[in-house]
Amino acid sequence: MTADPYATGLVERSAAAYASGVPEQPADDGFFGPASVTWRTASDLSAPVAGLRALMTQALHPLAMAGVDQHSGWREDPVGRLAATSGYLATVSFGEKAAAERAAARVRKIHEYVKGVDPVTGRPYAAGDPALLLWIHAALVESTIVARNWFGTPLEPADADSFVAEMVVAAELVGVPRGMVPATAEQLADYIASMQPELACTPAARESTAFLLDPPGLDEDMAEIWQDIRSGVIASLPGWACEMYGFRPEPMDDRRRNEIRQALGVLDAVFLGEPGVLEARQRIAARVRATRRA
Amino acid sequence: MRRLIGTAVAGGVVLAGLAVALRRRFGPVRLRRGVAALQLVARGGARYASSAPRLFAAAGEQRQRLRQDLALETAEDVAQTLGAMKGVLMKIGQMASYVDEGLSPSVRRTLSRLQDSVPPMSAELAAGVVEAELGMPPERAFAQWDAEPIAAASIGQVHRAITRDGRAVAVKVQYPGIAEAIAADLDNVALLRRMLRITAPAQDVDALLAELRERVLEELDYRREAANQALFAEFYHGHPTICVPTVVGKLSTRRMVTSELAVGARFADLAEMSQGERDLAAETIYRFVFRSLYELHAFNGDPHPGNYLFHGGGRVTFLDFGLVKHFAPDELHPLMQMARNLCVRNDPEEFRRSMELAGFLRPGAPLRTEDVVEHLAVFYATIREPGPLTIQPDYSTAVVRRFFDVSSPVAEYVSIPRSYVVLQRINLGLFAVLGELSATRDWRSIAEEIWPFVQGPPSTPIGEAEVAWRANRRVPVP
Repeated sequence: MTADPYATGLVERSAAAYASGVPEQPADDGFFGPASVTWRTASDLSAPVAGLRALMTQALHPLAMAGVDQHSGWREDPVGRLAATSGYLATVSFGEKAAAERAAARVRKIHEYVKGVDPVTGRPYAAGDPALLLWIHAALVESTIVARNWFGTPLEPADADSFVAEMVVAAELVGVPRGMVPATAEQLADYIASMQPELACTPAARESTAFLLDPPGLDEDMAEIWQDIRSGVIASLPGWACEMYGFRPEPMDDRRRNEIRQALGVLDAVFLGEPGVLEARQRIAARVRATRRA
Repeated sequence: MRRLIGTAVAGGVVLAGLAVALRRRFGPVRLRRGVAALQLVARGGARYASSAPRLFAAAGEQRQRLRQDLALETAEDVAQTLGAMKGVLMKIGQMASYVDEGLSPSVRRTLSRLQDSVPPMSAELAAGVVEAELGMPPERAFAQWDAEPIAAASIGQVHRAITRDGRAVAVKVQYPGIAEAIAADLDNVALLRRMLRITAPAQDVDALLAELRERVLEELDYRREAANQALFAEFYHGHPTICVPTVVGKLSTRRMVTSELAVGARFADLAEMSQGERDLAAETIYRFVFRSLYELHAFNGDPHPGNYLFHGGGRVTFLDFGLVKHFAPDELHPLMQMARNLCVRNDPEEFRRSMELAGFLRPGAPLRTEDVVEHLAVFYATIREPGPLTIQPDYSTAVVRRFFDVSSPVAEYVSIPRSYVVLQRINLGLFAVLGELSATRDWRSIAEEIWPFVQGPPSTPIGEAEVAWRANRRVPVP
């Protein structure tokens, strides 16, 4: 495994997946639409921290981690795995309903085959298990809100509630019954707190997340830039997650926080430079603003 | 004033470093940096030359005018669009496009996308800036204020207005908070230094960084641009064909520049006019570039067709003085010696010596002088001999190709001294424009009028008309 395809391919392939997930002439507004918090706060520069934080959190569920570790092939093609996930998220968030449903159906189909036994706990798992899917969902939604509060444009409490409520449908799409899914920020926080007894840092979690936070082969200066992102992710993790991983978060004063924002801004500029990304963002922004004015 | 060039180069280095670092492609670029950079620029230059008018017709103002649907409505919108280093990168990109050196296609793309990513301000937001600057809303500061911007500008936009004393003006208004955001981002010296270090490990990174910060900070203050424009306006006051809009000082501040509104045909319209009109306009642009360079020791670094307005009879208005490079008189001396030795004295050995003195050619290079001359002759093709000559559309492409022709045995001994890099814009910009116009003139005789070491007699009707202007110039010429 070399670092080259990681950094090179990640930006390009995530960008391509993102751009193609935002339709040009949509038949409908999809599951969220231009009045939603999801759309209004799209393109926040904290997204890389949100994504990495979500992965770090998700990985602490031994069964979810075992499923990824034993089936997803992340070692062979980590970039492909991450790009596929960002493409899926773009399609569900901004695509037409039919496109989102098709993408979700594909994911559910793949999940049918993801079954096994977690070597650490000895417990059987199935990726289609709503309890596992809910953890993945909740970790992403919560990480999006937390990352924005730390490094992006914070969501007002009311918007955070709306966002959590809007996202319920995303969990439903992959097969979580609506009744199980937290629908307010408070419910979400309670759910995540309630899950702590289930969580642990398994060797697979340690290995995969170490790869994310410290991609091998980066040269010294690039590694330092990546260090900013890494520090941001760790600072934004809950205390218990840091403890499980054995991280000691560095203190975050305004100055340090701003430095991380700046590193994220540079990443965002590079992402924006990829073909189709600007147009995709403008498609979203134009519809959001038209709705706001109307 | 080497500072601008140094900074611009630094900008290119930062951006090259950035993209290269993030895309993990710096191995080959670092090892063969010179060669790779030249090849890239050659390609960029060729594209620029061959598609110049279309490129410009599609660029900037028109497209952005269409995106009122994306207008920024609050200072927070501005911060999201241009904060977190993006404004810094955009500003650097603007300067880097001015030197072109060392930019990979991916960096170029990132930069141009970044420029495109900035929508206009809403009417309310722009009015708020004017009110903050002048202490009253634009409707009171001006007799009439057109709320819809007519053009995008670097970190700002242009509105039409009529002053209370009845003058039609163009008002460039800066995005609120942008100067502060960029200044704050420039304080992240560690991040900037890292990016510099990645591509320029052998350079004095701290010196580059210091120049970069200083130059960008200067750019944020529109009063500097107003001063440059005022300098050009004063110099060309009374000129028969060159017009530079007058700056209205009391309506110009740190975040807004007000100048006389110029109306005229755009470059695309000129292409439809008679060849006679096109030749006259081309002559004026040529005179403007070289009179400014040799007499005002200043070069407007943005000689692209979007910055010209045409009025017929060879009258041209020159807009946008945001990127002006000033030279010390002795900095231009070696360039003049080169032209003089080759074109006037016709002395190849002296030409070669002046190239070496100017730093273009490595002294003692194992080359025959005739090969050196042959290699560089294309740069002087328009001024070697008197007589009418048509600048063909592919001329600037040929010049740029030759400049970066790494296959020639001469190439490895030729380099561009840092303080002249900006002058490549003459090849990329001026000759691209003249070539698009297929302009015919006796360029040599016009050059002789302007060359301080010849001071030839007027050779055209515009040259005749310049005599009175020259005699009554407000700004003395050394």
